[in-house]
Amino acid sequence: MESQWLSLLDVTIDFDQSHLFFPRIVTWILVVLLAIILITRYRRLVPGLKHAGRVLAGREGDFDHRRFFGTLALTTAYFYLMGVLSDVFPNTGYSFLIMSVLFVFLLSLLYVDRPTRRLWVILVLNALIAPTLAWYVLAQLFRITLP
Amino acid sequence: MDILSHLTPMFFALIAAGTAIGIIFGAIPGMTATMAVAVCLPLTYAFGLENGIALLLGLYVGGISGGMVPAVLINIPGTPSSITTTFDGYPMAKRGEGERALKIGIVASVFGGLFSAAVLFFFAPLLADFAIKFSYVEKFLIILLALTVIASLCSNMLMGVFSGVLGVWLSLIGTYSITEGGNGEPRLMFDFMQYYLIDGFSLLPVLIGIFGLTTVLLDAEKGFRDETGQGPISLKNGAKFRFGVFKGQLTNLIRSSSIGTFVGILPGVGGSAASVLAYSQEKNFSRDSSQMGKGAPQGIVSSESSNNALTGGALVPLLSLGIPGDSTTAILIGAFTLQGIQVGPLFIGNNLDTWYLMIIALLAANVLMFGIMYFAIRHIARVIEVPKYILYPLIIMMCVVGAYAINYGIMFDVWTLLIFGVFGWVAHKIGLETVPLIIGFILGKSAEVYFVKSLESYGNYSIFFTKSPIAVCLWVLIAVSLAFAIYLRVRSRRQAAVES
Amino acid sequence: MKAIWSKTCLAVVASAAIGMSASAQAADDCPLPGNLRVVIGSTSTGGDTYQNSSIVVDQLADKLDINAKVDAVGVMPGFQALERSRHGNTVMIFHDGAYLGNLYGVNGYPDIFDKFIVGPTIAINPGNAYLVPKDSPYQSMSDIIEAAGDGKQIKVAIQPGSVSEIGFSALKNAVRMKYPGKEGNIVAVNTGSQADKNQLLFDGAVDVINGSVQANEQYTQLPADDQKAMRFVWITAREQTIAETDEAGMGDTTREQLLQYVTPNVSVPMTADQDFTFDKEFFFLYNKDMDPAAIQCIDDALAEIYDEGEIQQQQKRSFFVPDFKPSQEAASYLKEKNDQYKTIINDLKG
Repeated sequence: MESQWLSLLDVTIDFDQSHLFFPRIVTWILVVLLAIILITRYRRLVPGLKHAGRVLAGREGDFDHRRFFGTLALTTAYFYLMGVLSDVFPNTGYSFLIMSVLFVFLLSLLYVDRPTRRLWVILVLNALIAPTLAWYVLAQLFRITLP
Repeated sequence: MDILSHLTPMFFALIAAGTAIGIIFGAIPGMTATMAVAVCLPLTYAFGLENGIALLLGLYVGGISGGMVPAVLINIPGTPSSITTTFDGYPMAKRGEGERALKIGIVASVFGGLFSAAVLFFFAPLLADFAIKFSYVEKFLIILLALTVIASLCSNMLMGVFSGVLGVWLSLIGTYSITEGGNGEPRLMFDFMQYYLIDGFSLLPVLIGIFGLTTVLLDAEKGFRDETGQGPISLKNGAKFRFGVFKGQLTNLIRSSSIGTFVGILPGVGGSAASVLAYSQEKNFSRDSSQMGKGAPQGIVSSESSNNALTGGALVPLLSLGIPGDSTTAILIGAFTLQGIQVGPLFIGNNLDTWYLMIIALLAANVLMFGIMYFAIRHIARVIEVPKYILYPLIIMMCVVGAYAINYGIMFDVWTLLIFGVFGWVAHKIGLETVPLIIGFILGKSAEVYFVKSLESYGNYSIFFTKSPIAVCLWVLIAVSLAFAIYLRVRSRRQAAVES
Repeated sequence: MKAIWSKTCLAVVASAAIGMSASAQAADDCPLPGNLRVVIGSTSTGGDTYQNSSIVVDQLADKLDINAKVDAVGVMPGFQALERSRHGNTVMIFHDGAYLGNLYGVNGYPDIFDKFIVGPTIAINPGNAYLVPKDSPYQSMSDIIEAAGDGKQIKVAIQPGSVSEIGFSALKNAVRMKYPGKEGNIVAVNTGSQADKNQLLFDGAVDVINGSVQANEQYTQLPADDQKAMRFVWITAREQTIAETDEAGMGDTTREQLLQYVTPNVSVPMTADQDFTFDKEFFFLYNKDMDPAAIQCIDDALAEIYDEGEIQQQQKRSFFVPDFKPSQEAASYLKEKNDQYKTIINDLKG
């Protein structure tokens, strides 16, 4: 009797297919949970999406488009150009250094409201010194591989 | 006698240097203890075994400890094991108690570190024999236990559990790794993604993306309005640190340190699970946990004592089985092999001098860590006063370094940072919970391997209940942990109802 | 607009400066970059690939007067980095796993002889071994082959698709030759790290594990009543390879004792008159478009280094057997090795 009951729990996993076994279980749990969430909260879903659309379009709420999308764009450009440039200067970290100087400066500039002359100097110095220091210590002293 | 001749000023200087460098690595978001040890590994060849080990152990202890700094001050965990430090550390910092929070963390760290060093010294071979009682089945249950903490850490049960499962799901993207015993086949992605995702997403870029870049994006969205000029958080006001805060924390300290040490001892469970387990056990079993997550010292105590206790624990299987207990000790093994020293079950017996020196180095590293951090913290804490328009670009830059360097130079890891930064922002908007998600992500891969391998070997689901007394004990713990989480949730809801 | 301008200017200035310094660094007749990146097919910096690569790369960098760094990126990222690097800025060091993965049909493994240039071999790790619990009924590989022929199931813990599996395949093949149809009694238990393999042995879940002299020797020294005690049954290296290790052997096991576990003392037949052997060899891999002059340059530098004789001492100290073969020789040698194992693996499939 007991062994019959136990055999219900028998499972054989074919090694060639074993990569799908656990992901399938997890995917099913995920789908079920998602369904529960949607069922219990569908009332809030549509207004929520509408609200989000209006906020992103800039018709509602406090959403700093310039800084948010600026951050995204700068970061994407930073990563992309760093990859491109690292093929020009392979294995030196120069690509990281050059792009970081530009990125740090531009991002700081984006975040500052009314840059005064003094602030400009600070930002320029910061953008020059910090990446150079990081590059020197990490790539030169510790020999960490940088882009 | 021979030992004394090794205790040169150089020996201690290297420990101090290692600890200091480690703290800096740990404190920079994106850089970790593992990385610190990895970059300094080639140096050890020149120093010789004893001095080399001194340096590396300093780095290890320093790196784990330094992780609390950004966790407390800017809500970005410096290392995966300091995620739980952000829960209470950052709220304290926002109240102006950053310095106090850090000092609490330092004291807890040194306690955890010394505790685990003592355990290592007295019980290493014994514990190693206990650790090998944990087969696939028991390890899976340990991971399941760690996953149940999601129930006590999330703010909404349904969303929290969903986020946790989503984290597990995300961790499975890629191939079923051959080096873990899988068949190397891809799943959960389209063919064109295989080129990049063959090894899946790496933990560190995911972590710093979700915590680091997301934070930047959330603030950018708000436009830094009050930012030009002084930072919003000052260090002036807020309570000062007193040792009195540890009154009544002894149970917490010992429990958390024991959990940390034990998780370290179990190879393959993953060090980051230590602080998460310790934190949730404190939340479940302490007399009053109502303030945890809002800036309670006890949360920092449990998180920091457990993650430092990991150090001694992870050295147990390394030195008594030749098997690393976590990612950092996996690199430490290289220091031994570079010197032609075998680590295995006979290591301690064959190399008594080295063994004693390691214990001394570990103790010294903890004490020096305390010394360096306790007195430097006043200055370190000022990071919080740096305006965000200076700080954030630098954080992103350092996250890039960390992401790129963690796997020794892979550009896709940098893109992972961006993908998960944006994902974290979206998750925040739609009410997903990032901490359960990360915990799921950290534990997902090992959960798969241990689960599938258990079933492959035994062919029946009942094995999880019948394998051994240890398995039964673990089920009891899982049940108790879940029950407590639900009980606490119901109780706090009732309290809230009464108050309103 | 302004930003773009400053960007371009900076890039131009920087590239000019760097171009000069880079060309100044490169040696006269050696078209190698001043900064050479050596990726390896392992993510571990504690493993044999890293250790061996760093010994060789350090010497090479000294000899060529360049900067060279070993990056433990792992197999697939390593192949990818190599593929992208047309100009020889990145080279790879890996072991027989590079082609075994392809032979076993592991997802993502290219045919390295077709896709890359196979460079010089540098060393052998002679330690690939198979172990049983100390109280195991199997005293030798012949016992295991006989038992399998007798209908006993024998579970072997391996990491699939690589160096760890090849000895297992050879064993299976030996059973097939002697007792056709019985090879199914040799069962693979696929697992990952050495820790996992050891654990399976401690649990009694497997009869034999793949391991190494370096990682498992201390376990063989434990008293028999210890749950962790193991015993070597087979070291896959050639007799001649083990004979070249230091006389002291590894740990408390002398070279004399190690020789007991290699052919002909332990026989796993591959053909009617030849025993199977496997030496885990480390070698360079280059991008298909790499400048032949650069390849020649590395060959020459290595030849000089090996002539000086110091590197051999260093390798032997770390239980590696020095084994330098220049590119051409190495490529045809490894191709031959590849074809040999291909036969075994295909015979087992069919």
